[in-house]
Amino acid sequence: MNNFLQAIQDSALGIAVAESWFPYVESIHVVALALVAGSIFVVDTRLIWKTSRGLPFTHVASRLLPWTWGAFVAAAITGTLLFISNATGYAQNTPFIIKIILLALAGANMAYFHFVTFRDVAAWDMGRPPSNAIVAGYLSLIIWAGVLFFGRLIGFV
Amino acid sequence: MPHLLNRQTSGEHLETLYAFSAWLAGTGMSLFIQTTTGLIAIIQTIHIAALATVAVSALLLSLRLAGRGFTSEPLARLAQRFVKTIWVMLVLLLVTGLLLIIAEPARTITNPAFYWKMAMLAAVVVITVWLSRVARREAERPSPAAVAAGVIALLLWAGIMIAGRLIAYTESL
Repeated sequence: MNNFLQAIQDSALGIAVAESWFPYVESIHVVALALVAGSIFVVDTRLIWKTSRGLPFTHVASRLLPWTWGAFVAAAITGTLLFISNATGYAQNTPFIIKIILLALAGANMAYFHFVTFRDVAAWDMGRPPSNAIVAGYLSLIIWAGVLFFGRLIGFV
Repeated sequence: MPHLLNRQTSGEHLETLYAFSAWLAGTGMSLFIQTTTGLIAIIQTIHIAALATVAVSALLLSLRLAGRGFTSEPLARLAQRFVKTIWVMLVLLLVTGLLLIIAEPARTITNPAFYWKMAMLAAVVVITVWLSRVARREAERPSPAAVAAGVIALLLWAGIMIAGRLIAYTESL
């Protein structure tokens, strides 16, 4: 594992990011993650029945989730570039590890919501979502706040 | 890091800024934020979350002006709630931003990227005020100028975020 991390860090791409691209790649990463977090915030606050009450949940979700996914791809690509610039360091960086775990939890929460809770959306699309949907919304908000916090902490270690 | 941006400032002006920065860094409030473990990261996280909310509010407003996004909501009502969100989050951004300047004045007060960020912020505030009026008046068919202004506002928000991150890499004057 360490050999692999060392190898990608020593690759031409890893060195290029470390020596000259880092600030620019990181800036794009920030714009991308702002779109991810902001769009999720709008969908989640509708899910917990705090905002956009006049709009069906599926309308809010369908108009925002393509932006969420597009921005997530950009954040993942730029994040990978940042990672390989110092792969061995990030692999031992506690906030980085916590951030990746939180991203996995956000994915699990979303998958459960999508495949279980969302199936009867027709029954609550126009109004107040059921309690399991509201729990999913709060969980998502907390997890993503954690992703932002531990993401910011990576640079402090 | 190489100089990413350059800015001409008179020597006297700069000295005043450095003196102010040194004074600020020695205040009780600054020392408290500097020495409380994790506080700067927490303030920065709130700053980033507020910026994310502003960016997506601006995105939804610009999309709606162009006849896309939340099309089942009347433009005037959508503009009212998302412009309000932008102002509320801007207050939060100013408060957290001020706390960050107080904590680490040398990082920002003499930093060109910070002034680029403030210039873009001033421009986007003017555009947003105008767009909120347009949305109230022009109901469903905004002019091409309004649609274009919405796109410019989005570019400015992206520029603000980029300049904000580059503050960490830009050398002071």
